[in-house]
Amino acid sequence: MRNELTSTDTLGQPFAVELQGIWKRFPGVVANAGADLRVSAGTVHAVLGENGAGKSTLMNILAGVYRPDAGQLRIDGEIHHFRTPADALAAGIGMVHQEFRLIPSFTVADNVVLGAAERIVRRSSIESAVGELAERFGIATEPDRMVWQLSMGERQRVEILKALWRDAQILVLDEPTAVLTPGEADELAAVLRHMANDGRAVIFISHKLQEVTSFCDEATVLRGGKTVAASLSVESTDATELAGLMVGSSPAISERPPPGQVGEELLAVHKLRCMDDRGLPALDGIELTVRSGEIVGIAGVAGNGQRELAQVIAGLRSVESGTVCLTGEDRTFASPRQRFSAGLGYIPEDRLGVGLAPRLNVIDNAILRTYRDHCRGPFLDAESATAHCQDLVDRFRIQTGPLFHSIAGLSGGNLQRLLVGRELRGHPSVVVAAQPTRGLDVQGVKAIQDLLVAERDVGAAVLLISEDLDELLTLSDRLLVMHAGRIVAEFEPTTAERRTIGEAMAGHLDGACVIPEVVGP
Amino acid sequence: MSRLVLVRREQVLRGGQPLAFGIGLMVALVVGVFLLLGSGHDPLRIYERMFEASMGSPKAWSVTLNRAVPLGLAGLAVAVAGSMGLWNIGAEGQIMAGAMGAAWVARVGGDWPALMLIAAMLGAAIVGGALLALGPAVARAHIGVNEIITTLMLNEVAIRLLQWLIHGWWKDPESQNFPLASMLADNAKLPTLFERAHVGVVLAALMIAIFGVAASRTAWGYELRVAGSAGATARYAGISLERKILTVLVLSGGVAGFAGGIELSGNSDRITENLSNGFGFAGIIVAALALMRPSGVAAVAVLFGAVQIGGQSIQTLGVSSSVSTVLQALILFGAIAAGVLSRYKVELDVADAQPLRPTRRESDTTP
Repeated sequence: MRNELTSTDTLGQPFAVELQGIWKRFPGVVANAGADLRVSAGTVHAVLGENGAGKSTLMNILAGVYRPDAGQLRIDGEIHHFRTPADALAAGIGMVHQEFRLIPSFTVADNVVLGAAERIVRRSSIESAVGELAERFGIATEPDRMVWQLSMGERQRVEILKALWRDAQILVLDEPTAVLTPGEADELAAVLRHMANDGRAVIFISHKLQEVTSFCDEATVLRGGKTVAASLSVESTDATELAGLMVGSSPAISERPPPGQVGEELLAVHKLRCMDDRGLPALDGIELTVRSGEIVGIAGVAGNGQRELAQVIAGLRSVESGTVCLTGEDRTFASPRQRFSAGLGYIPEDRLGVGLAPRLNVIDNAILRTYRDHCRGPFLDAESATAHCQDLVDRFRIQTGPLFHSIAGLSGGNLQRLLVGRELRGHPSVVVAAQPTRGLDVQGVKAIQDLLVAERDVGAAVLLISEDLDELLTLSDRLLVMHAGRIVAEFEPTTAERRTIGEAMAGHLDGACVIPEVVGP
Repeated sequence: MSRLVLVRREQVLRGGQPLAFGIGLMVALVVGVFLLLGSGHDPLRIYERMFEASMGSPKAWSVTLNRAVPLGLAGLAVAVAGSMGLWNIGAEGQIMAGAMGAAWVARVGGDWPALMLIAAMLGAAIVGGALLALGPAVARAHIGVNEIITTLMLNEVAIRLLQWLIHGWWKDPESQNFPLASMLADNAKLPTLFERAHVGVVLAALMIAIFGVAASRTAWGYELRVAGSAGATARYAGISLERKILTVLVLSGGVAGFAGGIELSGNSDRITENLSNGFGFAGIIVAALALMRPSGVAAVAVLFGAVQIGGQSIQTLGVSSSVSTVLQALILFGAIAAGVLSRYKVELDVADAQPLRPTRRESDTTP
């Protein structure tokens, strides 16, 4: 069923995946406006683009989740029309979504074979079959463990195994490294390479250039729903060039904002210990202070207690021992609401599901922290709530539809503006921001960073937890490194060497004694 | 070739649910025609009789409204829990528990003034239903025990408890050893509103209105919405999830218990095993069709009441009363299927009309 429109790769083989002139409109948005993509078997192919460039939509079309308004889709040269994800799966396309679709109370093996087991089989035989498959692709996993016990990286491997179990020849991963620690990301790279060597096509969606240049063979860049550069060889393309293609002009070099006026100590954490979700020690005697007018950055490999530190300060995780002081008062056992009233703004790592309630409308989300101020007796004053929300929307330039519509329609950048705006509107004394710019596009990142710096400049103490070292080096006035639940080093961001910071992150400077001298104000 | 496809709406269609309900009703009536024809009846005559018996006169309306009361309150009970994503499958038992509470007060206070006695009976009914829901509520809030299972199983406990009372302690000495509870005194009966309708109609409407306002206009309702949307967000906003689960499930039980009290005081001579009559389970359907909203519950309950009363009335024409049960089920299926329309719209598949996308069949013939 070859068609003359089919093109072939350099070896004369039809492309494993060929998307041509794909259009997809959603109400109010054109997600894809004639996007093309050609991927050869045996390669790892990056699809690069900023948020909203149409990467996810294009991949969802390939995976049969959406159907294109126009354009055609070929797998190994054959035209396909996927009506459902099952059709795409049958054609050999496996997709690993950003949100995993696993059953937490099932074992790894059960999740892998779920819906694809041929008949009733013995547990042990499933487990050994899954184990063999994992071994063949160099994927470290324990088939008999329950999924709820696994880290995000381990869960992702289960998703990959699911696709391999169904013999997917084309594997699509939607921003797979967003949930991974750097070490896990390297393991993932090895697994992807293994699959490519096995003759499969791997499509890797990302907006992190460094990963693309180290993991991938070819890259296709999308901008505004169109393909602006197709199948560039990563080896012969400069990272700066790729970045330029993504944003349309050369990216602005982020400049260090001038330092603020440092004042009194507003956040003080003393000998703090707490447990993680699995009941294992997460914080092991944290000591840190943040003063008015400074941004203290926390660097570290994901999973070394940064998440728990933010939660403990926000009052969302219970303390084993130690104290948390806000504006000079002990608030170790205060409720989240009391802490907010005491002047703590918290930007949680999980925007939807912690910071924002996904099914509720814009107004309901805007008043989440202050709804008690919009009450008359037991009644919620809809007018005052709407006015508050409108003020937030105007002041933080949030692009929304009608305010009574669910926030599900907002883009990632606008969701984060809504969240950050809500937390910063009352100018809190202390701001804890966990991964505040993760997954945002360049403008979004800049907007959020500017807001944090502006808060610092009006005297807030800002604790910035981030996995983006560039962001930390640009914004922080002091940089702390966390490893295994402890602060293991402190750096002066203007003079610190990346290599030394990296060593501290890796735990090579373990032991509190090696904290370098504080470069004082 | 073009086909009809479902396209997701950007926002859920307003007024989509009444539309879906109407479509469900139509589907049920059309399928019902075939059922009735198949069993040798004249569908038009049957439908006419059903309509007359349920909505054809003030008297018919009074009977329908009386039936809508337990359906609406049970639906409200399920909806209150459902608005937080909890399932109270135990309204049936809680209705029994409420009726038992009311019956106990009626035995104790047989010579009290009517107003005081009825108020005390209804109060005891709420407490009875709430007590039965308390166990599941505590277990769910504090140790995460699935409330579906606990509330469901307590239905059995409630009915056995009532049987035990009727066969023993509460047995009427004048019942010639039949397991019947004593008759209610006249001062324990709800006053009449019009025709056969009792004031329970007003009380139920009031209860539904209170919950409707509480859910949509108060801070309490707001907290409920947040907690129902995402538990972690609720904790972040300073809302105690445990307390919300506890109060919501206990309130849900109390509302179902209230239905039991009204059913006893307004519709029965004595407490019997059949008092709850499946209302607790029908309430789940009512709440589901009303999308867990109190305002919808009232409307759906009246319509279901009418279908039930109409269904009973056609037994005199030789039609099994099961017909009404079948119709209720068909309405549910039809409405749920049509409910898709409030989230999706039907469109012509434009993609297939594009020249770049020949259909599979055409491309198969290409050599």
